[in-house]
Amino acid sequence: MSAAAIGTEAGRVRSERELKRAEAEIARKYMGRVPWEMVAWGLGNFVLWLSIWPLTLAGVLPLWAAFALATFCITVCYLPSHEAQHSIIATEGSPLRWLNELVGHVSTIPLLLPYRIAWITHKQHHANANDPELDPDYGNKGDTWWQAAWNGIQARQFGAGDGYRNALARSRDPNLGKAIREGSLLSLAYYAILTTLAWSGFAIEAALIWWLPRHIAMTYIQIFLSWAPHHPMEEKGRYRDTRAWRSPVGTILSMGMEYHVVHHLFPRIPLFQTGPAYREIRGLLDERGCRNDRPD
Amino acid sequence: MKFVHSSKVPTAAGPVLFGVAFLAPLIAQSLEAASLSAPFGLRPLSFGLAVGLGLGVVAALRGRWV
Repeated sequence: MSAAAIGTEAGRVRSERELKRAEAEIARKYMGRVPWEMVAWGLGNFVLWLSIWPLTLAGVLPLWAAFALATFCITVCYLPSHEAQHSIIATEGSPLRWLNELVGHVSTIPLLLPYRIAWITHKQHHANANDPELDPDYGNKGDTWWQAAWNGIQARQFGAGDGYRNALARSRDPNLGKAIREGSLLSLAYYAILTTLAWSGFAIEAALIWWLPRHIAMTYIQIFLSWAPHHPMEEKGRYRDTRAWRSPVGTILSMGMEYHVVHHLFPRIPLFQTGPAYREIRGLLDERGCRNDRPD
Repeated sequence: MKFVHSSKVPTAAGPVLFGVAFLAPLIAQSLEAASLSAPFGLRPLSFGLAVGLGLGVVAALRGRWV
């Protein structure tokens, strides 16, 4: 089969160009609107996490509830920033660009992941998904979810030289210097706040509202955003480096990542539209030979 | 004594600082919250400093916490 004639429709072989056009037509329908729900999610979640501090330190919120709520907040804080990284909220030069940048910067503060570092490394993930050397998320590879979780924990140890550090070292992004300065400042602020709270008699509160929830959240995010959608992380290329899959814990608990194939093909489609877009485009994905591990 | 990479001494110092600055008071306050006494008649904070420093040094030498 030639590269120019790869798909079929009602017995007719469709050319590469026809397939691309059909994909783009479907994708266009789901792009372009401002995902206000992600704006509310990103900013509201940050305010909610901030509010845990005074409520807990004042004794209004019990520590166990603070821990559970903080773990939830930090676990869900990445996705709004992810929308901003792809300029889904507002593109460069548009009137709402400031909102895109605000959501990007603010939402991942609890996770200690600066927006620009997230974007620089995430671009490398999209360009080199599943490449052992060039994909910053490759450290999450594992045969099972618990191996992936353990590998992820190992990869982010300070002496491990993890994929994000390597990706930044390789980057020629013009914002790299600013990203590293922001990352250093955020880390310094984090350790200063933890230390100040600890020596003021609030070490357990600091551990259960930020330190431990952040580690749990990072592992959860690595399993559902990195490992599961790309598992087994062995193939590369636009139509093979990620997949559609059925999560045993459902779409919500897997944070919408069952349709990650749509995101890699069309990164400007908002998260909430990837499901509907998948259902419309899945015939074309099958023609393309995309990885589809969903039984339906 | 050798840290993981000689050029990464500042990185390796991080766990020692974290052990003293955060883990030590965390251990001490956890003992107090659980109404447990520190071994060898130590004050909770002294015990926390000993354990926090020890864990930090071990982490610095190994290049990893776990």
